[in-house]
Amino acid sequence: MNLEHLPSTSPSLSRLIDELNKLPGIGPKSAQRLAYHIIRLPAEEALALAEAITDVKQSVGFCQRCQNLADASICPICADSRRNQEQICVVEDPLDVLALERTHCYRGLYHVLHGVISPLNGVGPEQLKLKELLTRLEGGQVKELIIATNATLEGEATAMYIRRHLAGRAVKVSHLAWGLPVGGSLEYADELTLSRAFQGRQEI
Amino acid sequence: MPVLKTYRTEALVLKNHPLGEADLLVVCYTRESGKVRATARAARKVSSRLVGHLEPLTLVNLSLTRGRTLDQVAQAQVADSFPALRNALPALSRGLYVAELLDGFGSEASPNPELYSLALEVLAGIGRSPESDLPLRYFELRLLETSGLLPELYQCVECRKPLVPGDHRFTPNGGGTLCSQCAPLGAHLRPLSVRTLKVLRLLHRQRLAEIPSLTIDHQLAQELKATLTASVEHWLDQQVRSSAFLDHLRRTTPAEPATESAAHA
Repeated sequence: MNLEHLPSTSPSLSRLIDELNKLPGIGPKSAQRLAYHIIRLPAEEALALAEAITDVKQSVGFCQRCQNLADASICPICADSRRNQEQICVVEDPLDVLALERTHCYRGLYHVLHGVISPLNGVGPEQLKLKELLTRLEGGQVKELIIATNATLEGEATAMYIRRHLAGRAVKVSHLAWGLPVGGSLEYADELTLSRAFQGRQEI
Repeated sequence: MPVLKTYRTEALVLKNHPLGEADLLVVCYTRESGKVRATARAARKVSSRLVGHLEPLTLVNLSLTRGRTLDQVAQAQVADSFPALRNALPALSRGLYVAELLDGFGSEASPNPELYSLALEVLAGIGRSPESDLPLRYFELRLLETSGLLPELYQCVECRKPLVPGDHRFTPNGGGTLCSQCAPLGAHLRPLSVRTLKVLRLLHRQRLAEIPSLTIDHQLAQELKATLTASVEHWLDQQVRSSAFLDHLRRTTPAEPATESAAHA
């Protein structure tokens, strides 16, 4: 079988290459390689991949509380009564929840914004899951909101916006510490990171 | 003379985009080369030596390597991170508005040192008066001037006679102010009050730090904003996206003080 000539002779393969090419980080060459790899797979493995994609699109939705991706209407973290119901950690996207869960040091709940305020890209507060966050705070059960947006300009803008909106409410608003990463060196740190690391220094 | 493979420049970072797995595409504005787009390898990794040095609204000393299509950031060192802009949302959103206009009006390989100095002057002004819109209006007018697009403020664009107090109108695509005699020609155009015209002339004549405290009521602020935004968006040929967030902040903030001052230095 001469695979070089397949795209023009097989419309279904061309279609698969086109679809794979739409994925992030996949260029035309990678798309071709993946498509040929799928063709060479045993039928059951290729169908399992197709089934997984169909399944994920049909069953995964947003958790009604934290807006994280979940199979059920309430995600396992929100449904876990052993977790601290008085703390909510606000993150930009679902991958941040995974990163924080890997630390095993936070036992509260989360809220996923699904983005950050980005004035230059025309993304405003109304495009984020902020209304849902304010609704969660209405019950009065939440005592602390921990803002864990990325330490980028847009992440900071989002954090400042949330803090501004919660001014006067009986909820403590904190932010993850800014400072030097493990393995980082002072010599190459930018002045903003260093000054904030100084402000947030701790007694040892 | 051969072109040097690497060069150093001071640059104001306007924006950055993720590129690939951990790279960054940085758009910045320099005194010597105008707008520059460059890639920064692995700059999104926490352990990168570049991380933190390439955030928008940061003045950096860059060492760049020339590339076929895009230059590459070899080294970056923050010269000024404008902490006054970083610590308050009103100042930050105004700074981003300046960055967006600079990105829109600046062009690659076309240096405009005046525009570069203007941007730094205005960012410092925003830091001094974070809740004031006057630095933005000053920037818009001077941006048009340094780009050779200053609207006419002293004589009628139709009859070329000096303007005397009256019912003037403003036409962004006609090049500026229409006098009360010629105004009927443009009756559908935006009216330009004498108060607004006076503030525009003041912004044109004085440097930002030298402008005295002005009492600008809501109506005057709106008219100044509408007039200059219309001009800027006419030449940019698109809407300024960050202005929507600024408008949102103004709507959700308690009434601002009536006195606008740009000179606290």
